[in-house]
This record gives sequence, C-alpha cells and structure tokens, in this order.
Amino acid sequence: MKFVFKVIPTVLLALMVFAQWTGAESEIRLASKGEKIMKMAKERVVIQYDCIPNYANWGEVTQTYALKTGVRIPPDMKGSSAALAALEAEKSNPQADCAYYSGAIGFQAAQKDLHAAYKPAGWDQIPESLKDPDGKWFTVHTATIAFIVNKPALNGKPVPRTWDDLLKPDYKGMIAYDDPTWGGTSFTMVYGLNVLKGGSSTDFKPGLDYFTKLDDNILNYPRDSIYNDVLRGEIPIWINADGNGLKMKYIDGGDIEVVIPKDGSVSMPLVMGMVKGAPHEDRVKEYLDWLLTEQAQSIFAKSFFRPVIPGTMPADVAAKFPPKEDYKGVQNLNLAEMSAAADGLKKAWLKEVRGRR
Amino acid sequence: MSFFRFPPFPKIFLCIPLIALIFVLLVWPLALLAVRSVQEGSNILGEGAVGSGLTLANYIRIVADPLYREALLHSLGLSFIVACSSIFLCLAPAWLFVRKEFPGKRLVRALFALPMSFSGVIVGFLVIIMLGRIGFVPKFFEGVIGTPLFSGAAYQFIGLYIAYVYFEIPRATLTLESSLRKFDFQLEAAARSLGAGRWQRLFFVMLPLMWPALISTFAVTFCVSLGSFGVALIISRRFSLLPLEIYQEFTGFLNNELAAAMSITLVTIAFLVNYSLALWRVRREPVHA
Repeated sequence: MKFVFKVIPTVLLALMVFAQWTGAESEIRLASKGEKIMKMAKERVVIQYDCIPNYANWGEVTQTYALKTGVRIPPDMKGSSAALAALEAEKSNPQADCAYYSGAIGFQAAQKDLHAAYKPAGWDQIPESLKDPDGKWFTVHTATIAFIVNKPALNGKPVPRTWDDLLKPDYKGMIAYDDPTWGGTSFTMVYGLNVLKGGSSTDFKPGLDYFTKLDDNILNYPRDSIYNDVLRGEIPIWINADGNGLKMKYIDGGDIEVVIPKDGSVSMPLVMGMVKGAPHEDRVKEYLDWLLTEQAQSIFAKSFFRPVIPGTMPADVAAKFPPKEDYKGVQNLNLAEMSAAADGLKKAWLKEVRGRR
Repeated sequence: MSFFRFPPFPKIFLCIPLIALIFVLLVWPLALLAVRSVQEGSNILGEGAVGSGLTLANYIRIVADPLYREALLHSLGLSFIVACSSIFLCLAPAWLFVRKEFPGKRLVRALFALPMSFSGVIVGFLVIIMLGRIGFVPKFFEGVIGTPLFSGAAYQFIGLYIAYVYFEIPRATLTLESSLRKFDFQLEAAARSLGAGRWQRLFFVMLPLMWPALISTFAVTFCVSLGSFGVALIISRRFSLLPLEIYQEFTGFLNNELAAAMSITLVTIAFLVNYSLALWRVRREPVHA
C-alpha cells in the first residue's frame, strides 16, 4: 500500500514534467505572439523625459496628440537635471525617445552627445538663437523669470517689484525658489541674476552675494513642484517662470500677481532634443514635427508659455500677459556660456547659499 | 488520509524564489554599486578622482569634504535620536497592547500601524500641512493666543525630527510589541511578592529583561531612519542628510561614482549596526527560557 502511495505521485509528477516538456513548444509560440502584441503596444508610445502634466500644459498637449494619432506619451515627473542624469545613465541602452529641458540643460545634453540631430518640420521658423545649427536641440517655447505672488498670503505687505525688494525683512520666510541643482528653471534664474548683477560665466560672486542675502528670507529650496503650495498660500512668493503664475491666476483662479522685476529679468528657452538611439525613432520624429505645428504651439500658449513659432499665440492669451513694457528689461542668455558654467555654479550655490550657517 | 503525497524534497527548494529575488534585487545591484564606488569618476569639475582606474578617493572624499562628512554625521545623529525617541514614545502603547484588553484595541492597533503604509513624501506633506507656514498648528495658536507659534517649523530641524519620529511610530510599536510578547511577566509578579518596590522592579527586573526588545527596536528604527529619503526631500531646507547628498550628486552633477560610494557607506553602516546589535542581543537574551 505504502509503495502505491509513493509510486503514483512520482509517476504523476513525471507525467506532468513530460507534459510541460511537450507543451513547451506551443508555449514558445504563444510567447512570441505575446511579444508581438507587446511590441505593437510599445510602438504606440513615445517616451518623453520631463513631461510634467501641469508644466507648460504638457498634459493637454500629450492628450491631444493621443486622440489625434493614438500615440500615447506617458507623464514623466523628472525635472530637467534628473532627465539629463537618466539619459546619461541609460546611454548604452536608451529608454527615452526625446526629452524636454530648460535651455542650458538641453544644450548640455546635446554636448554630452546624448541627442541625435533632427530638424523637425517648422524648423526654419525658429529664430536662429533658439536652435542648434545641427538640429541637436531646438526651442519649443520660452518663458520669463518672474515673481509669482500670492497676494492674500502676503498679509498686507506690498507686492515686491524688484529683486532688491525681495531682500526686505518684510518677506522673511515668505520666498521660495527651486533648488537650482534640481530644476532647470531655477538654475536659469540663478545664472541669469548673476549676469544681471554684473557677473559672468566664470565670475559667480555678484549673483552668490545676492542669493546669500536673499537666503535670510527663504522658506525652502524645494526639490519637487510647489505649484499647489503657492496656490494655497503656504508659499507667498515663488521665483519661477511667468507662465506658471499666469496659469495659477487665469486657469486655477488664484489671487495671484505675476511680477516681471523692474530691475530686469531673463528669458528662458525651453528646448527639446531627440535622444540618440531612440527606441521609437520614426514615431518620435512625427511627434516632434507636430509639436511645432500651430495646434500644439497654441496649446502650450494656453498655459502661458510663449510659442516659439511666430504668429501661433492666440490673441486672447496674449492679452492676459503682463503689459509689453514690463518685458523691456528681459535679457536673453548665451546658452553655451550658461551650460559651461552649470556644474561650477551649482556647486558654488550649494556651498555658499544652501550650506551657509 | 490524503491520497496524494508528493515524494519528499528538500525544503530549500521553497526558498529558491526568494533567493533569486534577493540576488537580483539586492546582491547584484550592490555589487554593481560597490564596483562603481571604487572607479575613478568622470566628474566634470575635476574634483577628486578623474580617470578610469581603481581608487578609494570617493570614500576618502566622504570623510574629508566637510559637506559630505557633515551630512553623514547628521544622518547618524538624527537616526540615533529618532530611534531613542520612538522607543521612548512607543514603549507604553506597546506595553498596553500586550498586557491589557480594552474596547477598540484592534482599531487602535490598526491606527498605530497606519503610518507604515505612507511613503516618506506623504509624511513630508503631512508635516507641511500641520506645521507649515500656514499649517494647522500655527493657525490654531494664532486663533487662541494671537501669535502663530510653530509657523514654518516644518522646514526647520524640529519638523524633520517630528516627521521622522512619526514615520517610526508603527515600526517601533510593532517591533516592541512582538518582543514584549515573549516577556515572562510572572517574573515581575515574583519580584513583587518577594517585596521589591516599584522602582526596584523596574530597574532590576523589567529593564534587564526588556533589553533585547529595546535593542531590536532600536536597530529597526535606526536603520529605517538612516535610509529614509522622501521626508527630507520634501521638507529639509539646508539640514543635509546623506541620502539627500546621494540624490544631489546623482541628479545634479552626474557624479555616479561618489553617489555609489555614499550608498555603499550607508548600507555598510546599516548592516554593521544591525549585525552588531543582533550579536549583542543574543548575548543579553535571558537564559531562563
């Protein structure tokens, strides 16, 4: 009896193994079919690093594209620098098709040979200074550094108008700007202010002196989007792109004022590049072509980022921007110089400003 | 009587999935990190080692550069006081859960365990909502006594400390509780019947018996705090911690070799603390059982 109990299961087990064995072939066939389906599904996406839905209206842009073509661009929450780091780490086996950055970081990515050259349709309409002659990067829209002020949260203090206003003790613990080692917007701001204060791509002292003084009034150097905190009034003054503040004001209905500082500001191109060895090369080319069409450009414009293609800004959106004369003191920065200064300035900022005791 | 009985096979086979998982997700990545940490970096700034040979320069920098040394010491210090505080806070509730029956006990226990499921980032946001510039606590004090006490405390050291302690409450409570369950409470009763006073019982009977429970709780909370990252990412303003520096080196400067060296340092410390405390605990384990 005992013998039977031992033998039967053993035989059964052997049979099962045998069945597995013969079934293996059909399973391989199944697997390859599954792979095909996976591959087809994969072909229907384009991977874009730094695709934050409530930044520059990427949410609506990608949704519109998906409805139009069936190609999905999943959201991606990396900031510019994180996107660059990811591309660098995946250099030998690229996962992304394209990436979006603030200008200097995109320039740096192209320099590090992470981009392939591609000149999308509409290339000729981009102003010369806003694209790489070889097509390693090109601007999709621009923004201006501004103070985004939540007026009720100021508790009756006046709205700051100049960079020097921000140094007043009135604003102690009320100001935030993103950690410039995290986000490209903030890095552009730090670099740009250094230039405005008389510094250069090798002399950071004028800028760092200012930020060291400003540090007394800083609440936090966030490494995550604080859009909602500003809207809620947790953070009354955010130094960031004008477009984000205008969106808070007109789309999310916050009591927000967007101030272009009277003593000057800088403009920031937001650029894209096609990743070298992009896994879905044909699709990403079509997508990049589409981003420069009037349809895509006017969707960016809806969240108040200035379209790079002239004449695509809808008139009702243009009317909501601060008056033109406010933008008179806005300078364009040299991306090559800014990108060369990137690591040095970030390190210096860490030591002198965040590491200050 | 069951009809089917599979031929006996070594139990070790049941562990194969876990062993495979640990290899793929722990041993292999750690090995990659360890290799990378002794490579010469490609740091664009030309600081430290540049090249492609092998070097210990990355580790030396962690100790030699005040920025990283401070971050390491901060991490160790914060984890230490957070571990001690969470033991102190959670000892009484853990004791209650083991010793007393009271209505709603299951519910209270579930509530204590709840923060376990929150990621660090969420805890960071919670602290901002409570202790931010316009958080609940400052608003409350503004309404009651006119001055917004604790306004913006979230961004200071105190906010970081509270968030970390909050983060450790379920871990400390659950670890303490499971250790206290093994506790022989008759010994306390025996001491009492032999005439020992309340404090005598505490210091000479209870505490020595409780050591193993306290040690294992310390080990768990210390190591979790050491590696925790989300809380500090959200609220830390300039109090640097080693996990934040790793993030910064990796994303901000692409300094992968230094980031790898810092990660290995953190893992080694966590492992050594855990291992040595485990050895110590075994030696202190009461022999009566």
